[in-house]
Formats: sequence, C-alpha cells, structure tokens
Amino acid sequence: MAQSALARSERINGWLFVMPALVLLGIFMVYPILWSLWMSFQVGRGMNFSFGGTANIMRLTQDPVFLRALSNTMLFLAMQVPIMLVLALFFANALNDSKLWGRGFFRTAIFLPCVTSLVAYSVIFKSIFAIDGIANQTLLVLHLIENPINWLSDPFWARVVVITAITWRWTGYNMIFYLAAMQNIDRSIYEAARIDGVPAWARFWFITVPLLKPVILFTSVISTIGTLQLFDEVNLLTQGGPSDATLTLSLYIYNLSFRFMPSFGYAATVSYVIVILVGILSLIQFIVAKDRRA
Amino acid sequence: MSSLKLRAVRKSYGNVEVIKGVNLDIKDKEFVVFVGPSGCGKSTLLRMIAGLEPITGGDLEIGGQRMNDVDPSKRGIAMVFQSYALYPHMTVRENMGFALRFARVPKEQIAKQVNAAARILALDPLLDRYPKELSGGQRQRVAIGRAIVRQPEVFLFDEPLSNLDAELRVHMRIEIARLHKELQTTIIYVTHDQVEAMTLAQTIVVLRDGIIEQVGRPLDLYDDPANQFVAGFIGSPKMNFMATSVVASGKGSVTLELTHQGKTAITLPLTGPLPAIGDKVTLGVRPEHFELAGSGIADIALDIDVAEHLGATSYIYANTASGEQIIVEREESRHELEQSGLSVAIPATKAYLFDAAGQRLR
Amino acid sequence: MSNPIALIGRAGTYLLLSLAAFVSIFPFFWMVVGASNTSADIIRGKGTPGGALWDNIVKFVNSFDMVRVLFNSFLLAGLGTVLTLLVASMAGYGFEMFRSRFREKVFGGLLLMLSIPFAALMIPLFMLMAQLKIINTYQAVLLPSIASIFIIFYFRQATKAFPSELRDAAKIDGLKEWQIFLYVYMPVMRSTYAAATIIVFMANWNSYLWPLIVLQTNEMKTLTLAVATLAAGYTPDFGVIMVGAIAATLPTLIIFFLLQRRFVEGMLGAVK
Repeated sequence: MAQSALARSERINGWLFVMPALVLLGIFMVYPILWSLWMSFQVGRGMNFSFGGTANIMRLTQDPVFLRALSNTMLFLAMQVPIMLVLALFFANALNDSKLWGRGFFRTAIFLPCVTSLVAYSVIFKSIFAIDGIANQTLLVLHLIENPINWLSDPFWARVVVITAITWRWTGYNMIFYLAAMQNIDRSIYEAARIDGVPAWARFWFITVPLLKPVILFTSVISTIGTLQLFDEVNLLTQGGPSDATLTLSLYIYNLSFRFMPSFGYAATVSYVIVILVGILSLIQFIVAKDRRA
Repeated sequence: MSSLKLRAVRKSYGNVEVIKGVNLDIKDKEFVVFVGPSGCGKSTLLRMIAGLEPITGGDLEIGGQRMNDVDPSKRGIAMVFQSYALYPHMTVRENMGFALRFARVPKEQIAKQVNAAARILALDPLLDRYPKELSGGQRQRVAIGRAIVRQPEVFLFDEPLSNLDAELRVHMRIEIARLHKELQTTIIYVTHDQVEAMTLAQTIVVLRDGIIEQVGRPLDLYDDPANQFVAGFIGSPKMNFMATSVVASGKGSVTLELTHQGKTAITLPLTGPLPAIGDKVTLGVRPEHFELAGSGIADIALDIDVAEHLGATSYIYANTASGEQIIVEREESRHELEQSGLSVAIPATKAYLFDAAGQRLR
Repeated sequence: MSNPIALIGRAGTYLLLSLAAFVSIFPFFWMVVGASNTSADIIRGKGTPGGALWDNIVKFVNSFDMVRVLFNSFLLAGLGTVLTLLVASMAGYGFEMFRSRFREKVFGGLLLMLSIPFAALMIPLFMLMAQLKIINTYQAVLLPSIASIFIIFYFRQATKAFPSELRDAAKIDGLKEWQIFLYVYMPVMRSTYAAATIIVFMANWNSYLWPLIVLQTNEMKTLTLAVATLAAGYTPDFGVIMVGAIAATLPTLIIFFLLQRRFVEGMLGAVK
C-alpha cells in the first residue's frame, strides 16, 4: 500500500518520541538482563568465565546460604505483605469516615514515614532497637519484658525488627492508594446498604473490599516486587545477620558480587531466581483476582 | 478560489474501509453540510480534508491544487472543533493569535487581525480571559474567532454546536449563518442533527457507511429523497414507512395492498420502471402529509397511543391494527383526538415508494 | 451513636489510629532529639533534648566534604529528575498519541519489564559501566535511571486525559510535532509534570543501592551514601548520624508539606 506523506510523518514522529526511552531501556535493561541470562551459565571468579552449563543451578540447590536467603525472603514476604496491606486497608477505612475527628492529622501522620529516606529511617530504627535503646527501656518500664531483648543480635527478633521497619515505612504509602480508591466509590451505595440494614462490617467486607480489588491487586504486586528485592533496610540494619538470619536474596547477590571474591555467574543465577519468583507470584495474584471477579 | 474537489476518496484503517470512494464538488463560497448518523464517516471525511487523517486513496483538491500530502496549516483551511480545543494555558487573545505566531507574522499585524476578528464576534471584552473563565457559548465564539483570524479560504466545522444547550444552539446556528453571509467563504459543516443541516446548508451531503447517499439542496432532499434512508433521515418527526405488496402493475401506475391494514388497496402513479406483482415495496408518508379521512386515496384506521401537544401543532403516536407505529401531525380539530380512534387518509401526491433495496420508485 | 457497641468500636478506632500516629511520628521525634544528644545517650534511650547538637553538626559537617556531598546529591537528583521527566513524558506522549499495533506490543513488553527486579540488573549493569569506563562518575548513576518504565507508564496514563483535538488544532495552526509537545502539551500537562517531579526527585534523592555500587570514592558520595557510611562503622556515632538523617530527610519532608496534595497525586497517578 502506498503511504501518503502525512501517514509517513505520523509514523516517523511516533518513533522519534519513544526512541530515547527505548534506546536507554535497550542498553540499560534489555541488554543487561540478557547478559545476565548468559552469565548465569558461566562459572569462575572475578573476570574469568567459562561455560558451566547447569553447574550454577546445581550449586543453588546445595548452597545452604542461598537456601537461607530464599527462605528468609519468602518469610518476609509471607509475613510482611499481608500485615502491611491489612493495616493499610484498616486505616484507610477508618480515615474514609468524614465524621472522624482529626482525620487530616491521622492521615498525614501515618503517611509521613514514606517521605523519609530509606537510609535515614534504617539508621533511626537501628538506634531505637539498640540493646539499651528506647525500645527496651520502654518495654522494661512497662514490665512487658524482664530482661532487655538483644534485638539485632537475636535471629528471631532481628527478623521482627526488619519486618516492623518495612511495615512502618510502607503502610501509609499503601493506605493512600486505598483511601483514594475509596473516595471514588459512590457514597449512595453505602447509603442504600444502610437503608437495607447491612451492618458496618458487612458494608466493608461486601462492598468496599470487592470494589477495591483492582487497587488491592496493584498494591500487592508492587509490595511483592519490593519485598522480593529487599536490600536497603537489611543491609543497613543487620547486614544480613545475625548468622544470615535476615539475609535476603538481593543482599546475597550483592555480597556474591561486590563483597566477597566476585562470582558474577553464580550471582546472576541467583538474580534469575528473583525474576522467576516475581513472575510466578504476579501471575498467581492476577489469576486469584480474576477468579473472584467472575 | 476555494472550491473543493474530491475524487474517489478512500480511507481505511487496516482492513476496515470507513470511506468507500467519495466523489464530491464543492463550489466557492458554498455552505455545505455533511450529515449522517454516527459512524457514517462524516467527521473522518472532514478530518481528511483538514489533513488530520491521511487519505488512503483518491485525490483531494482545494482551490484547484492537489492537497493530499500538504501540511494541514498550508491548505488554506481553519477548523472549529466539537470540544472547541482552546489552549487552556493561553488567554483568548493568545489563542486567537497562536497560528499567526508560528506563521512568523509580525506582532502588530497579529494584534490587528485578532482585534478585527474579535470585533466581528463581539469578543473584545473577553480577550484577556482564559478559556476556563468563559461560558460554553463564549468558548464556541472564541473557537470560531480563532478560525477567522487566519483568514482561511475554507472553514471546517466539526459538530460545533453539540456541546451547547438547546437554546444556545439555536442562537449560535443563526450566528453561524450570519457569519457565512459576512465572510463569503466556503464552509464545510459536519453534524448529525438534520435540523442544523436543513437550516444552515446551501447543499446537504447525506452520508451513510462511508458512501454518499444523496447530495442536494435542503428542500430537494426533503421533497425528493433518492432513497428510503434519506427519506427517513431528513425531516422530523421521521417519515412513516408502511409495508405493502404490489397487487397490480401497469399503465404508469401500481396498486398496492397495505400488508398490515386489512388489504386496503391504494393506487399510485409511477413514471419510471414498474415493480412486478408480488414485490414487497415500502410506502412512505411524512407525518405532516396525512390528510383528513376521506380526502385522500385511501383511509387507514389507527389506535391512538399518545398525543403530544406542542401548541401550534400536535404529534399523534398511533398504531395500526397490527402494531405498526405511525406518527401523524395535526393542526386542526385536535380536541377530538382525545378519543382513542383516528382515521387518516394517505395523500395522493405526497406518498413515496421504495423498493426492497430501499431505492426510490418514481 | 447511642448504641454501646458502636461507641466501643469508635473508641477502639481512635485508640488504634492514635497508636499508629504515635508510632509513625515517634522516629521523627527520636531523630530530632537524637541530633542533640551524644551517641552514648541515644543508645541508652535518652528521650530528652541534650546539649550536643552543635557538636554533632560540626562533626557531621567535618566527616565529609559536605559542600561536595550536597552538590553531588542535588546534582544527581535534580539532573536525573529533569532527564527522566523529559524522556518519559516524550515516550508517554509518543505511545498514547501515535497508536500503532507494533508500538502497542512494544509498550506491552515494557510493562512486562516493570517486574524485572533491580537485583537482576545490577551485576551486568556494573560490568557494562566498567566496560564503558564510567565507574565512579555521575553518568554511571544517571544513565540507567533515566528511562523509568514506571514514569513512562505514568505519563501515558496521564496523556489519556490530554484532548487530542488540541493537537489537531495545533497542527492546523501550523505547529510541528515537537512544537506541539513543547508549546501545547507541556504547559497543559504541567500538573502531571509537577506530580512526577516529586516522585522522581524523591526516588533519586533516596537512591542507595546503585550509587553504592558505582560511586566508590568519597568525593563522589551522595548524602544518602554519606549517612550510610557513617552508620556502617563498628562504633557508629548516632548523634552525628541523626544530624545526617535530618539533612537527608529534610528536602523530601519540605516538598511533602509544601505540596501535600500534588505529592499524593503523584503517588496515585499511575493507577487511576
């Protein structure tokens, strides 16, 4: 088909506008991710590679540190994401009540943590949870504990601190999404439900939650991706310790590449574990969300 | 010189053809209205003339020059959009002068042209306002003003009144008609509203599914529609269509039996080719053309459903015995309509016949 | 509201909200109080203002070439924001205004890439930077972050609200495509740009992992890295760190309070 000059200039312009982004993404995203795939089949230290076939995958299955990092990451995911999203949903619902006194204050207060820099808040948490720190002091005064807890040196409590820290930082962020979505729900739906005698909890569960499903899906995917890549907080709070109790996959990749004698090929293999996990989990979340809609 | 010539103009998106070969001549200073139901391609055709949509096939000439590949701003056209498309971040003055700024027209000249256009449309007091500070009608006038400033040879209007309320629409309609008189330029105007088409146009182009159904002066289309589609589209309320079949044919006339009217037979003169006996043909009568019972060629009995009294006239929505809906317009003895039955006569001269394909039988 | 159960429920809601508000705000309070205390006092959990503020500030300022560090931070965050906004808004405009089946497929591919974690990119990216010999430079930090898929997506979503008739009108007015972008699209979309500026600036300002990898000398460090470095020592001086934490948080905090509504708009933009 002969193309007119107008059609041609449209087509050229269309590409010109997206080209800078595509070129940059090609160089700094597509190329690295493919390179990383190739590298995940290479063995060797430093800059000396040789093809290792499935050697790296074999190594994964027998690497206790990797398995530890994997199970830690999954634990953080399974604990932290649901807690955070439920809290966010609860706060959003409470703050959506226009008769609530001081809702502006509460909203701003709960949102405030996500304005902080990751590094700053990690450091602050580190000082709060120091052995003689304010957390222990307070709990001792309240007689909730007998002896100070060694927060960051005890495997269990270190994980608790990490989960607490992430939840602190991101709950308000998710809450804002829910709040915005709730404000788009037609008020009269709730009024109709009240006239029909539907109790408050049922209004929340059978009206609010289903209508919020797309947003809940969005936040859960975003949070899943974020938690699977968890790095900043653990590196600053615990550096993965004590004895790898808070080591995450991202931190392990970093350690493999930049802290120990670099083992780029193996690190690339570990990084593909995250890619695959993100893919699988996103897919599951989409399927679950679709199922319920039908 | 700003006549337009369209020759076998086509437009397709992938495999979907939306304009299927349009041939049209528009004379200089003519007011042409493209009318048709939504999706008929009238806006696409206008955008092709404007240069906003590439032309897939055929030729477009404006003022004797082929314009298929010419940039929109160099076609000598100006366009008024349905949503007005005023630049929200500029004042009325800046909006109106924007095109000239990019045509490198000197500042004093721009100011002069903007002021002149503003005077024509009484926009002077609004020049320093922003679009969001204007009412719908004012925005519409600014959009027209922006087109005038460029002193185009051809004005293109894309459903310009559809975002206005009924009263304002009538007002702007008159203003546009006045403007055409004043500016003496070619205008191509797209609308789906046949009333706008009838009142504004010198020539109406009726489009359906990407082809031209009929081109003509407004009254010609009303009095002498070429096919059932045009007959139904032009005129309000719509022309009534009744199913009939041919029972006798010959000697310059046909005799029909109204299918849903208990075999009432009517005979109509025809000058053209005659349909065969047994053919299904459609009889069309406009609501305003029914006559009092007994005075036409045949009477039909109707059950009145609803009567709408508009004051000067009344529309009676009625059903035939078998449920065909018929609209009758009445100006006399309307109080008698309170009763449920009504008998009207099919007029001898103003009944139209269409064959099974919808083409007019003359 | 006379129903006792409803009353208890309401009291419980207030209690929980107050607790959440306290927990949310306390670390800020702790940060500010901490900045005026000695490290020993902070670790001992002293919650009242002390007299070491000036001392901490001086120590913090002297621990790095602070002018340089601030310059690095503002340059990287500022320049990164400008470039990201330009590239992403052009792409968003391009994808939305010029629809083509092939470009839709490319866009679908971008959305899939949204789920590629940075962890999977950092090694090859680092090696790429090493090959390009730009380790420890500003370019190395900026280049991978400019084409942010998330921001492209954000701009495309926002562009759906940009009336295409404005573009048509501008074409008839004789503007070239880049002029339409510059003189019509950008001014009309300025609130989208404002919201995006906030998110991108925040992300760049707080960026930690990638700068940590590619910026290796002290004179290239950003404020975020400087604070992290202070915190990584064996005996971190928390008083000094708190001063740093305040410095690192202040710009984003100020932006938040000045532009609270825009800020939230920015966060929400992509899901609308």
